Amino acid sequence: MYDKEKGLFDAFVAKKMSRRELIQATGKAGLTASAAGFLLTQAQTRAMAADFDWQKYKGSKLKLLLNKHPYADAMIANIQTFKDMTGMDISWDIFPEDVYFDKVTAALSSGSTEYDAFMTGAYMTWTYGPAGWITDLNEFIKDPAKTNPTYNWDDVLPGLRASTSWNGVPGGELGSADAKQWCIPWGFELNNLSYNKKMFDKVGVQPPKNMGEMLEVSAKLTKDLGGPYGVGVRGSRSWATIHPGFLSGYANFGEKDFNVADGKLKAAMNTAGSKSFHKDWVRMIQDSGPKNWSTYTWYQVGTDLGGGASAMIFDADILGYFMNGGDNKEAGNLGYAPFAANPAASAPTPNVWIWSLAMNNAGTQKDATWYFMQWASSVEHDLFGARKMDFVNPVRASVWKDEEFRARIDKSYPGYLNQYEVSAPGAKIYFTAQPLFFDLTTLWAENLQKMVAKEIPVDEGLDTMAAEMDKKLAEAGLG
Amino acid sequence: MTADAIEKRAPVKQSRFMRRALPYLLSLPALLMCIGILIPFFTAVYYSMLRYRMNLPAMKGFIWFDNYINFFTDPKFWNTVYISLTYAALTVGLELLLGLAIALLLQRPSRFNNIASIMLLLPLMTAPALAALMWKLMTHPDFGILSYLLSLIGIQDFKWASDPATALFTVVLVDIWVYTPFMMILLLAGLRSLPKAPFEAAALDGVPRSFVFFRITLPMLMPYILTATLFRLLDSIQQFDIIYAMTQGGPGDKLLVFQVQAYLDFFQATNVGRSAALMIILWAITYALSNVFIKQWLKLRERAHGAH
Amino acid sequence: MDHTSSFEKFLRGALITLVLVFFLFPIVWIFLMSLQTNETILRIPPSLAFTPIIDNYTALITGQLRTAAGSLQLNFMQNMFNSVLLSVCSVALSLVLGVPAAYAFARFKFRLGEDIAFTLLSFRFAPALLVLLPLSLYFKTLGLTNTYIGLIWVYQLICLPLILWIVRGYFEDISPDIEHAYRIAGNSWWRTFRKISIPLAKPGIAAAGLLAFIFAWNNFIFALILASADKQPVTVGALAFVTASGIQYGQIAAAIILSITPTLALALYAQRYLVEGLSMGAVKG
Repeated sequence: MYDKEKGLFDAFVAKKMSRRELIQATGKAGLTASAAGFLLTQAQTRAMAADFDWQKYKGSKLKLLLNKHPYADAMIANIQTFKDMTGMDISWDIFPEDVYFDKVTAALSSGSTEYDAFMTGAYMTWTYGPAGWITDLNEFIKDPAKTNPTYNWDDVLPGLRASTSWNGVPGGELGSADAKQWCIPWGFELNNLSYNKKMFDKVGVQPPKNMGEMLEVSAKLTKDLGGPYGVGVRGSRSWATIHPGFLSGYANFGEKDFNVADGKLKAAMNTAGSKSFHKDWVRMIQDSGPKNWSTYTWYQVGTDLGGGASAMIFDADILGYFMNGGDNKEAGNLGYAPFAANPAASAPTPNVWIWSLAMNNAGTQKDATWYFMQWASSVEHDLFGARKMDFVNPVRASVWKDEEFRARIDKSYPGYLNQYEVSAPGAKIYFTAQPLFFDLTTLWAENLQKMVAKEIPVDEGLDTMAAEMDKKLAEAGLG
Repeated sequence: MTADAIEKRAPVKQSRFMRRALPYLLSLPALLMCIGILIPFFTAVYYSMLRYRMNLPAMKGFIWFDNYINFFTDPKFWNTVYISLTYAALTVGLELLLGLAIALLLQRPSRFNNIASIMLLLPLMTAPALAALMWKLMTHPDFGILSYLLSLIGIQDFKWASDPATALFTVVLVDIWVYTPFMMILLLAGLRSLPKAPFEAAALDGVPRSFVFFRITLPMLMPYILTATLFRLLDSIQQFDIIYAMTQGGPGDKLLVFQVQAYLDFFQATNVGRSAALMIILWAITYALSNVFIKQWLKLRERAHGAH
Repeated sequence: MDHTSSFEKFLRGALITLVLVFFLFPIVWIFLMSLQTNETILRIPPSLAFTPIIDNYTALITGQLRTAAGSLQLNFMQNMFNSVLLSVCSVALSLVLGVPAAYAFARFKFRLGEDIAFTLLSFRFAPALLVLLPLSLYFKTLGLTNTYIGLIWVYQLICLPLILWIVRGYFEDISPDIEHAYRIAGNSWWRTFRKISIPLAKPGIAAAGLLAFIFAWNNFIFALILASADKQPVTVGALAFVTASGIQYGQIAAAIILSITPTLALALYAQRYLVEGLSMGAVKG
């Protein structure tokens, strides 16, 4: 019944028509918004279906292991499209984030075949890959018989593609030519400033541009606001304390976690540059950080910003994004800014967290599973999630160009697009990929806690820590 | 009257076999139901003798007791032993004193006391992991009601679990809040089932109450105290939920107890061998401690029965 | 007849009040939080002035959670059902097996008796983490992964040793003379056990059963590792409100309050047996 209009949507999906043109055209045709949405989904299906047999695994049943996350919600909201297109049946187990990775480790280590694909972070694949628990996805991506022609893998941001592939050699460069693609980027977060505009205006300060300004501005905020503290960062005894703001700032000074020479790793946290950054970071927390810093995980950092207990966070951009909505007290008051810790640096170097999809190596229906994975990471689904759901940050360059998505973000999240665009070229994983990742980052966080509590001096602490790490690396045959 | 005499006069005759077999018939089903756990247990013992890190499969190998030997030269291991034992001693000791005091307060069976004793079980009914999450919020410097109340009485910026100086205090406090009711209810049940006669006699003779408490109540209650303490000790030395949810073992390595370290070794580092060895050592400590308790318990029992 | 001075009464009252405040204040606070949104929970300083809402409870019970990101499906009531099923079955199984065994250890001296008793206790020493990986491998081989039967078996490992050793203590405190007298009157051993021994040990059985139930209820590592999402207990279910888009304190609080309710009901019911403790003192040696 919508035959004439169908042509419009096909033209839009084929990028022959801009969104504005489409809206005008459908408006003329008298289509309601919901009917338009329906037709768009159908058009997505038709666009993807061109020259590819989506029905090949009709009747297959897949099961996913998912984290309780807006990305998973966005996928579930759109799953009917996939079911209709492929005739496959799909179910999932969702576990809370607090226990999610325990569940994944348990399922994978026991060789369970229950789950075909699952959500993971890129760091975790440094464990799952060498352990033989996940499948190298290159064999699917590079096979035209298995991947639909419109998939457009190169559209996925290059930093993210590289950050999710590794050759498995300790210290091996991410995204090298011999790297295995351990997972597919799904949604990601980079680390920049999210700040409370009202508080900044009240005190009369601008978002800091480098570490020196950060120390000044956050101290002034703490002093003048009389209550809220200047800057929120994580501090719990965990790798999660190192990877957001801390490593992003650290990398901006060109500092590294490890040096690799002749296939051996050596801790590099005790250089002069590293020591000076550590000192600034420690002082920032002591002067203007959260009082209970050493217990802070991402949700305390976020809660404080959303509840008006902190004036700014140097953490995941999407954490600031979520705090600007919902029933948060400060919803609507937040702004976003890029941050390059090093005054000499040309641009920020945000370390990234990438929620990705990986394939269970013990799974029994890998080809069918890849059908789901390519759909879930397709342009079409990415667009749907970015426009209609909280599927941010999208991992595809084309989605970042989408006018509807941009308009939605720009309207409610001032500065968000800018912080993204300024930082995106430098956004990637700055850790050295190696099997002791979790042991050594936890040790790093432990030492940072001791420095902030003034139990050990920074210089000496870093020397001791580097020596301890070298010892552990040697024990594992890596150093 | 001797057992023989009873048997002779009992109309329902039991065969000799039945008499011998009865205790086994009663206790073996329980044993059989549980014995299966020994299989995974011994598998874990085997793991503890492996160099076995799941993400370094090439290194896997049988190394006898190297995992254990490595611990003995590792100062971090001794820190873990020290923290675990301190934590267990503090929590169990304080909970015993507090639990006993509350049980004595509520000893008289009145409607109020009965309801109060049930209400006091509420903290125990809250899953420790969730309770810790709530305590973390209540001790938040800005949003936390407890921090606020402290500030009203002039204590500003008390840092609770985040300060190395007060972290142990804070987790012990939460542990006390959760588990004192466990002690209380077992001791209360014990107090209430003590025979009345000795107390009535003491009251008639006008014996001072402190004497009654130390010479009559406490000795009679001792088996209950031992059981309650034993179970509390088993759980406390293996504490995970509260500490992990509150501090993840920090600040620094202040609260790095056995289970937290083993959890990180297993789930994050996938170092199965090291994690298993650590757990076996914890198991051995627990085994030794409970052995002492049970010996003491049996001795007390023996004495009590001798008095009959 | 009552020779306690009024000062002592006052002191006793004051102490009980203090104890109740310490242990119940956090519970009351959690209850108040369960009637609020994050917006009023997270205030500086915390305050009691708020308009109570029951949305958190309706969300949990109906399974529909409305958030900024849209409506989410929850299966909290399924979690509740799982907790009830796992706890009730494992405690029942532990009582059926544990009480007779406790009686055997209390009444009879038999070869290997103490060894068996201690072995049963020692099953409780093994830290969950130690057996988790092998257990999940064996469960997979045996087809017990993701079954209620498998989980109940694991759960009774937590309950049985506790029940056994607590109840044993109570049996030992009952004088054998009463049982003997009843048997002389012509009753079988089995009848004596049911009609005399068990009723006399009821306070102990009630206390042990209740505590075992609570421990089973609060456990979550076993279900987390050994079963899929549809068999998870409330302890895992309540963590669902720690979400990437923020931590929903109101809903966690409501989940805690709801998850306490069945245990509290059981405790209030068992209270009658706990009280009997005193009256039975009269019939003891």
